[in-house]
Amino acid sequence: MEHLLDVKNLSTEFNIDGTHLKAVDDVSYHIDKGEIVSFVGESGCGKSVTHMSGLQLIPTPPGKITGGEVIYKGIDLLKLKPDGEEIRKIRGGEIGFIFQEPMTSLNPVLTIGEQIMESIILHLKVGRAEARRRTIDMLKKVGIPDAESRIDDYPHQFSGGMRQRLMIAMVLSVNPKIVIADEVTTALDVTTQAQILELLRDIVKSMDTSLILVTHNLGVVARYAERIYVMYAGTVVETGTTKEIFNNPRHPYTIGLMNAVPRLDDPKDKKLVPVEGLPPNLANKKDQCPFLPRCVFRTEECHSSPAPSLNEVREGHAAACYVDVSKVQNNNIVEDEVASSMIVGEQEKPIINEPALPEENLLEVNHLKMYFPVTKSIFKRKVGEVKAVDDVSFYLKQGETLGLVGESGCGKSTVARAILRLYNPSEGEINFQGQDISKMRKKVLRPLRRNISMIFQDPFSSLDPRQTAESVVGEPLIVHNLVNNRNEYTQRVDELFRMVGLDPALKNRVPHEFSGGQRQRIGIARALASEPSLIVCDEAISALDVSIQAQIINLLESLKEQLNLSYLFIAHDLSVVRHISDRVAVMYLGRIVETADWETLYDNPKHPYTKALLGAVPIPDPFIEEEREHVVLKGEVPSPLNRPTGCSFHNRCPIATPECKTIDPSLSEIEDGHEVACINI
Amino acid sequence: MRTDTSLGKNEVIDSPPQRKELKRFLKVFLGRKIVIFFGLILLAVIFTAIFAEQVAPYDPYAQNLGNALQPPSAENLLGTDSLGRDVLSRVIFGARTSLIVGIISVSLAASIGVVIGLIAGYFGGIIDSIISRLIDAIIAFPAIILALAIGAVIGAGMWTVILALTIGLTPSYARVMRGQVLTVKEQEYIKASEVIGANNIRIMFKHVFPNCISPIIVLITLNLGVAILAEAALSFLGVGITAPQAAWGAMVSEGQRYLVSNPNLSFAPGVCVLLIVLAFNMVGDGLRDALDPRLRGSI
Ligand SMILES: Nc1ncnc2c1ncn2[C@@H]1O[C@H](COP(=O)(O)OP(=O)(O)O)[C@@H](O)[C@H]1O
Ligand code: SF4
Ligand code: SF4
Ligand SMILES: [Mg+2]
Repeated sequence: MEHLLDVKNLSTEFNIDGTHLKAVDDVSYHIDKGEIVSFVGESGCGKSVTHMSGLQLIPTPPGKITGGEVIYKGIDLLKLKPDGEEIRKIRGGEIGFIFQEPMTSLNPVLTIGEQIMESIILHLKVGRAEARRRTIDMLKKVGIPDAESRIDDYPHQFSGGMRQRLMIAMVLSVNPKIVIADEVTTALDVTTQAQILELLRDIVKSMDTSLILVTHNLGVVARYAERIYVMYAGTVVETGTTKEIFNNPRHPYTIGLMNAVPRLDDPKDKKLVPVEGLPPNLANKKDQCPFLPRCVFRTEECHSSPAPSLNEVREGHAAACYVDVSKVQNNNIVEDEVASSMIVGEQEKPIINEPALPEENLLEVNHLKMYFPVTKSIFKRKVGEVKAVDDVSFYLKQGETLGLVGESGCGKSTVARAILRLYNPSEGEINFQGQDISKMRKKVLRPLRRNISMIFQDPFSSLDPRQTAESVVGEPLIVHNLVNNRNEYTQRVDELFRMVGLDPALKNRVPHEFSGGQRQRIGIARALASEPSLIVCDEAISALDVSIQAQIINLLESLKEQLNLSYLFIAHDLSVVRHISDRVAVMYLGRIVETADWETLYDNPKHPYTKALLGAVPIPDPFIEEEREHVVLKGEVPSPLNRPTGCSFHNRCPIATPECKTIDPSLSEIEDGHEVACINI
Repeated sequence: MRTDTSLGKNEVIDSPPQRKELKRFLKVFLGRKIVIFFGLILLAVIFTAIFAEQVAPYDPYAQNLGNALQPPSAENLLGTDSLGRDVLSRVIFGARTSLIVGIISVSLAASIGVVIGLIAGYFGGIIDSIISRLIDAIIAFPAIILALAIGAVIGAGMWTVILALTIGLTPSYARVMRGQVLTVKEQEYIKASEVIGANNIRIMFKHVFPNCISPIIVLITLNLGVAILAEAALSFLGVGITAPQAAWGAMVSEGQRYLVSNPNLSFAPGVCVLLIVLAFNMVGDGLRDALDPRLRGSI
């Protein structure tokens, strides 16, 4: 059968200062009509370049397509002139591209209507009136409310999720045959992610369009894709139908990815198995299996042979690996523990008798409020207040981890920053080790800071670019006079480096000489330096790749055990929070709407918002996903500037009753330690 | 318990290993041929300025009216001026005056301005408002009037030029620094050092300041040129370097009267000004990059 798009042996290089970077190395794939195909792999493995090469969208120089064919409707797209008439017709007309960051692909000075109409007029050759009609139709289809009036708005007047919808509308308005969606939901919340992907799937299915879903999220793949290509280091290492691959993964990298991500349905004591090491440098690649240095299944043959090519292991399922991992059983070539756990999938953590938690609370937040004034005009006249955190209370004991979840903008980070007194709370108490620090003068507070640290989200912006790793990690030691001389200082810094799995020999480097995961380790070492009792982690692993995430999660967990630390763990990834937390609090619009121990909260959620959040998280297992009901939460988080009356969730709540508009529910205990703020349960 | 959290005695062990840092600095700094080239020119000029007495062939003040306005010759390589003084010797002594004026006024302006800008930007609020208004006031006041006023009080001369230039240049440093600080202050690594308990002095000088200096260095190299040119303008107005002291700016303006007959009178000091301004800029660029650890290995 002829494929709609048939790519054969595509290779793309980047030549920068004399080094050849093989970003795409002999990649072949095909897409059939109406299919949803996913490309999975971590950042930098060549997913985006593969698809941009196909459409000749890579910048040349430094990029260069060094070989291959991209056959679409019998023509080789690579033979067309890169900026010629023909390829333009296909690009954007027949094959649409949706990017991760919608703001950079929308022109800020044109209304969205003009932009969508322009492409309709160009590709479908219709008049302005007709184009406008179609644009409004499309905007309605992608769920933009009041499409007739909003068509004349500018991109900045829409939220992130809405802009992604606009991009979808723009791309789909010209009836393309193939849509490439490159990490379109990576920057979005789970609920918005579910909304966008469900929408995208429904539309492409109804138009019989093919969808290429590029992502690193295995859950998304399991929920939406029919077929998968797993990419690593610029090559496709495994391909097959989604069910086949999840059921019978044959490439060690695929297996590694699957064991590295926490799942909502994991047993709690599952230990994540990170893929150790780093992805290879694509410059000056050797002709050898690219996964070799990180592979736990490697044999002598792998060392001495050229890079393996895709080999059919079953009908429609191919893997690029010399070893038949399905035959490798526990005592065959298993060299170490990690390998065995990779095969078994889940390795039991040794059960230690955890010491009972202490009576008194380490941290107790009571009725915390954080309001930001909204000022207008140059006279800074106060016109309102953003109630970013509105009456939040919780506690945390020594040795405990409290997870804080919720959509972005719900006030999680503001809570963290108020506790660390980066903001001055408007009202409420923050009792830390029995002292109220909420109104303490900064000077008095400074010595206490030794006991509370923070791990930041962005491992790039949270380290001073001009400091060496050593002085970043050693700074708390100096600030709090924790060492007496250079010798002690060096010893302690080295110890901290080793604690977080970094080689002390690297300590004279500056941050930009480290990878993202390594930088996050430096941030963790800094947080540990003053031997704090509480560490606030604000999205501490969100910016990292999945295999690296697992390394950092494991590190945080083992440090907690060794040092009896407490974490306030803020994240939007509910699976990670479930994995790491003892108790969990769910926030919505500046308030906690439900809190319980992790087991109760995940197995028996009561608040409709918690249920919706959990329902939106895809589970990396196509069989389970097939069975699950996908209830998509409507609408977006309202602005904290005008909080809805009554229960602030009522405009999105599936079980709202008329009273919800007037009664503002507060947290009430429904069973021991399980509190919910809802009048209808 | 040790609760003293000020910079304290541990500051001694806080500096990164100096030798390694120096090696890296030199590697980047000397990695560019153009920087080396202009660096050598700069060194040569500074050398001649210091050893002017030894280098100059004649006394720069010795007049010889019978030998006035001579074109370049074997005796007088750059000819003579209207009073018969050797132009080459005057250019050599002029280097001394011009460099002193430029370097002293710019370093004074930069140090005062940077500290003011750092304080205004870091603390914000009322301190910032007061400082910003003051800066605006100085900028609004015409620099020339200021120089004339100073000249009227303390008389014309080199120190008048330096004082006027310092006052005139300080606000731009304060402004640039304040703007930089406002951006850097919001960076997450600044929040991070606040969280670990660092005090204001430490955050300001250890984290904010080093991340703000790139544009300051650029400004300094530009201003060194500006200062040398301004010295010329002030001399022209009569509040600048007084005769018979040699200074490049003053020499350019004196020579203008003979531009057609004896172009070398203006040309020689003019080319010197051009060269030194270029040299300052190139070396400044190199310095900025060498101080930036983010550019490690990228050259
Ligand atoms: N400094 C500030 N000034 C005004 N509004 C702010 C400020 N910081 C946060 N907010 C608002 O507070 C709300 C909560 O933000 P944040 O705590 O960052 O959410 P999250 O961490 O859950 O993503 C958002 O609506 C945000 O716009
Ligand atoms: S070929 Fe060898 S090294 Fe490469 S993935 Fe397979 S087992 Fe691992
Ligand atoms: S109070 Fe009403 S609107 Fe709020 S969560 Fe409960 S049912 Fe929904
Ligand atoms: Mg946040």
